[in-house]
Amino acid sequence: MMAAADKGEAAMAQLRNADPALFLSPSADLAAAAREASQHIYSSLVTFSPAQPPPLPSLLAGPAFDAEQIWSQIELLARPLLPHLRRQLRRLEQQPPSQPQAAPRVESPAGAEEEQSEEDEEDSELEELKEEEEELEDSDDEDEMAEDDEEDEEELEDKGGNGVEDKFLKTKHLEEFLEQAEEEEYGGGAKRGEKKAKKNWMEEDSDDDDEGMEDDEDDEEDEDELDLEDFEDDEEEDEGKTGGDIMYKDFFEKESKQVKSRDSSMKKVQSRLKDMKMILMAVKMMMMMVMMMMMMMSEQDEQGLSTYEKERLKKRAEIEQMEKAVLEPSTWTMQGEVTASRRPKNSALEVDLDFEHNVRPAPIITEEVTASLEEMIKKRIAEGHYDDVEKPALLPTKAPKERKEMDESKSKKGLAELYEEDYAQKTGLAPAPLSISDELKKEANALFKRICLKLDALSHFHFAPKPVIEDMSIQANVPALAMEEIAPVAVSDAAMLAPEEIFDGKGDIKEDAELTQAERKRRRANKKRKYAESHKERPTKLQKDA
Amino acid sequence: MAVDLAGSAERLRFEPLMPSEMSGGRPQFRKVQVPSHRFAPLKRCWMEIYTPVYEHMKVDIRMNLKARRVELKTRQDTPDVSNLQKCADFVHAFMLGFDIADAVALLRLDDLYVDSFEIKDVKTLRGEHLSRAIGRLSGKGGKTKYAIENSTRTRIVIADTKIHILGSFVNIKVARDSLCSLILGSPAGKVYSKLRAVSARLAERY
Repeated sequence: MMAAADKGEAAMAQLRNADPALFLSPSADLAAAAREASQHIYSSLVTFSPAQPPPLPSLLAGPAFDAEQIWSQIELLARPLLPHLRRQLRRLEQQPPSQPQAAPRVESPAGAEEEQSEEDEEDSELEELKEEEEELEDSDDEDEMAEDDEEDEEELEDKGGNGVEDKFLKTKHLEEFLEQAEEEEYGGGAKRGEKKAKKNWMEEDSDDDDEGMEDDEDDEEDEDELDLEDFEDDEEEDEGKTGGDIMYKDFFEKESKQVKSRDSSMKKVQSRLKDMKMILMAVKMMMMMVMMMMMMMSEQDEQGLSTYEKERLKKRAEIEQMEKAVLEPSTWTMQGEVTASRRPKNSALEVDLDFEHNVRPAPIITEEVTASLEEMIKKRIAEGHYDDVEKPALLPTKAPKERKEMDESKSKKGLAELYEEDYAQKTGLAPAPLSISDELKKEANALFKRICLKLDALSHFHFAPKPVIEDMSIQANVPALAMEEIAPVAVSDAAMLAPEEIFDGKGDIKEDAELTQAERKRRRANKKRKYAESHKERPTKLQKDA
Repeated sequence: MAVDLAGSAERLRFEPLMPSEMSGGRPQFRKVQVPSHRFAPLKRCWMEIYTPVYEHMKVDIRMNLKARRVELKTRQDTPDVSNLQKCADFVHAFMLGFDIADAVALLRLDDLYVDSFEIKDVKTLRGEHLSRAIGRLSGKGGKTKYAIENSTRTRIVIADTKIHILGSFVNIKVARDSLCSLILGSPAGKVYSKLRAVSARLAERY
């Protein structure tokens, strides 16, 4: 372990000491050193990862491994680690430790730092980080740590990057380069302060290093160790984003400067927090650098935009166009309910309107249709199955009223007789007259009897004579033959009526010619006598006065 | 006049007066003028008038030829005062134009009346309109008139512009309404339908 650590340290030292110009061209030594250094850092951070045992105990950064692969390994470590550290930070923020403890112990490492500050600041800081982490976990010496941090920060600030600078890293170079690159990318001068220094650094380094993975790794390391303060600020600017939430705009957008005033009262706590944040930022920066590296590795022009940028711009333009189109008032067809006044004249004719037809479309009459219809009709007729509406048979609620038909002829009975009959019926002296229904019943009865008679005659073998129907009819004195036979076979002089029916009289009847005179006289006397009797009651005719 | 001595209070009982006793024992008279067009029918039907009046109502009746009137007088044995009036009404009905058979009902029933009105009472009509109204009233062969008579149990006499109705009060009313509607111009069919409804109602009542 120690040998590996030493190796790592050595590698880092080598990178640090190397001339920045060397990073411009690919160099195998530097690459190897970078790998070693990254491995060393990884192993140092692995102990703090929340998932124990860690999924990947050591960084596999052999010569066969690609930048992509190395980055993903780092990501594997950093992804759970960053939130874990953030949580710690938050806990600290919420429960700021009130007691400053173990001041002397921290002071010595602080002192050691001060000594080393100009030379091995990275290492010291690393150690400090470790210590800080440990102390955070203990949550004891926060105040002292804060003091230490302050000192560190002050040192960093005082040096204004001088302390951070190393043999191969010149802040000025970095700044210039970063400014340049930013202008190219964003086409505008962005004001940079402390915070941009990191970016300048990053970009300058990346540009200097070209497509060297080792260079990127160097950058990683450098920035891990050197730029903690900037990391912190950036992180604060990012508002506490975890490693996974870092977006493109966090890196490449213009950032608004947030001037942070540090309260003296909160300084201790804040410095403590800053420690945590420094650690977080260390991890973040690793990842950021890998991204940068990847970007740099892809074929791009140093001048002009990256393909991604171009695509992005194109998409932007498209989006703007679409937005503009949406904001404009749309055509009348898209406006929902449109009255005739709102659309141009006769415009509805040009548009293919689609609306619901509530009417069933008229059936197309073909021969098959007619044939099928006719078949159905025939079938229905054969069955006798019709769809006629049948009236429901009304049940008579009461007996049908007997209606007297309006008689339009002069009534045969006088008024007095009418009332007389009425009275007689009421008192019951006379039977009720036959009403119309009775007559109808009578008629019906007679008809039915006749039919029954005939049916019986048809069905029986024995003879039953015709029943006598008492009926009054006038018998004409016509020879019987005329009545019974149509064709007179033989002439018969038998008359229908009997002599008594013809003549009704008694005695010896003599005609006028046969009478004797005495008989004639007798007849006349009888006649006169009868006349006198019948006309006796009549009053005598009044004699007209002469 | 018999004094009823039963009970604490004396109550005088009066029996109805005979018409001969009324008006101081003198007989009462009624005179009915005979119009010229009824003279011959009176001569023809004299016995039919005379018999019920003299025999059944016990009222003396005579024809005053010089004055052309029928005179009626109470007898000693006329049972009721109203008999004289009934006979007078009976003769008067005959004079108006009613048949004997119909007029005799007046003698028999108390509640029969004779109602008369003129066409001009209903609506002022002149000339052809009047003729048409009269035609409408009687109908073809008198069928409308007979229809009304039969359905309402009345007898109607249409004498030029005068209309006489003989019957009970309610029936007279119905007949008069239908005649008036005919005069006013409604067609016979409409009148028939109304008649039917009304007569059915009347018949149901009894």
